[in-house]
Amino acid sequence: MPNVITAHNLTLGYENDEEIIKNATFSIKKGDFVFITGPSGSGKSTLLKSFYGNLSPESGSLVVGGLDMVEINKTNLQELRTHLGIVFQDYKLINEWTVKQNVVLPLWISGYSIEVQETQAKRLLHHVKLSGKEEKYPMELSGGEQQRVGVARALAKNPFLILADEPTGNLDEYSSNVIWDLMENACHQLETTVVVVTHRIPMVFNIPYRHFTIDTNGSVYEVH
Amino acid sequence: MKFIKRHISLIFPLIAILLGLEFFIVFDRTTDSFEKGLQSGYSMMVVSKDEMSIDDFRAWDSHIEQVKELEKSKILERLNLNKDKSKQKSFESSLPNFYSLKLDAYLTVNELASVKSNLQKSSNILSIETFQSSYQSKYELFSFIKFSFQTFIGFMTIIGFFLIVKQMEVWNFLHAERMKVMEIFGASLFLRSKVLINMALIDAVISAILTSWLFYLFKNSWVEGSQMEILKDNVESVFKFSDIFILLFVAITVVMIAVFLVVVNVKEK
Repeated sequence: MPNVITAHNLTLGYENDEEIIKNATFSIKKGDFVFITGPSGSGKSTLLKSFYGNLSPESGSLVVGGLDMVEINKTNLQELRTHLGIVFQDYKLINEWTVKQNVVLPLWISGYSIEVQETQAKRLLHHVKLSGKEEKYPMELSGGEQQRVGVARALAKNPFLILADEPTGNLDEYSSNVIWDLMENACHQLETTVVVVTHRIPMVFNIPYRHFTIDTNGSVYEVH
Repeated sequence: MKFIKRHISLIFPLIAILLGLEFFIVFDRTTDSFEKGLQSGYSMMVVSKDEMSIDDFRAWDSHIEQVKELEKSKILERLNLNKDKSKQKSFESSLPNFYSLKLDAYLTVNELASVKSNLQKSSNILSIETFQSSYQSKYELFSFIKFSFQTFIGFMTIIGFFLIVKQMEVWNFLHAERMKVMEIFGASLFLRSKVLINMALIDAVISAILTSWLFYLFKNSWVEGSQMEILKDNVESVFKFSDIFILLFVAITVVMIAVFLVVVNVKEK
């Protein structure tokens, strides 16, 4: 299987701040399900941000989807992002848009027709158990429901890579299970690569996965 | 209600700016013709030993546009000094030459004094009457009104711009989150700002139409019945159809700059 993410001596940090991730070297293949764990402040979210170009590497190399994230230009970054599915702990839904509009955002950005958007929205909202809530606004939903909308949005364009930052952090068991099922299915059936940053790996997980951990020094290890 | 409120908060400052602009245009047009009226109604009197042509006068000052020689016989007639024709002829021949000079623009009092001093350099010119006191009072009143009006327009425009800056802050608050999310999902700058552009364009068109309509009403209702000669004489200058396009262009330019500044200032990180 080809590599979807390749990091070599990757060092990450914020401006005027010390290095957070130091000399990380790893690769993630197509169809891998990867959990990244580590103590608070160890740099899990920072590492994830670098995968979608929100943070540029300070040194080393990082290649995502065949694109060098050190040298990437704005156009290529925009193009790359249209093929990613990103899930955030704080959902990052557009509050003035309906659930349906939020779900089809990636399709709308890529210029898909209204018919395709409608069909996908219906299908995805059925999968995340939110049928009938298409015209609701995010603020009218519970936290678990909002996160399911976020996951539906991430899956809308069948991305080659899903990046999830604490997707079940504050959620009830039911919503957490729905989200893990969806991600497992995407990985298992569509060979989508999934990278999840989490504090806790779920007790019951139905597919094989890889586990990376970051220690307090910013070193990234794979746990075997 | 929220929708109307959002639009009004941009339309209001835009109308303030457009009213300022249109008042400026109208004021410029009407005062221009008023100035021309003052200019054409004004002439200075010059008395010279020998006859002088327009080129002779222009050699001393380039502001001289027209020269009219006053007939000596008519001056004598007006004075009614002598009825004896033979004596009148000799009297006429001993008189100097009288000229009425028109200028090329409505000059300031200082410029007028400068014209006078330039002409006085000619040894041929005996006397110059600029009727400065009447000219000065008209000029000062005119200048004062012009200055007051322009200050008012400037003030209105500044307030309009401040309100737009305030609106930009509101836009930033309302749209920054949405634009950041869209950017994360790969939306281009245009797509991210599309909602804002559409809203701003609609507001720009509404503002331009409303301002044009106000001036159309002003022209057709108020000016016709007003006692203001300057407006009545220049009723066509109050509002021209082409003004709609000027207002539309300015409104669109202002809102597009505002949208652009908001969009580029939204940082993903």
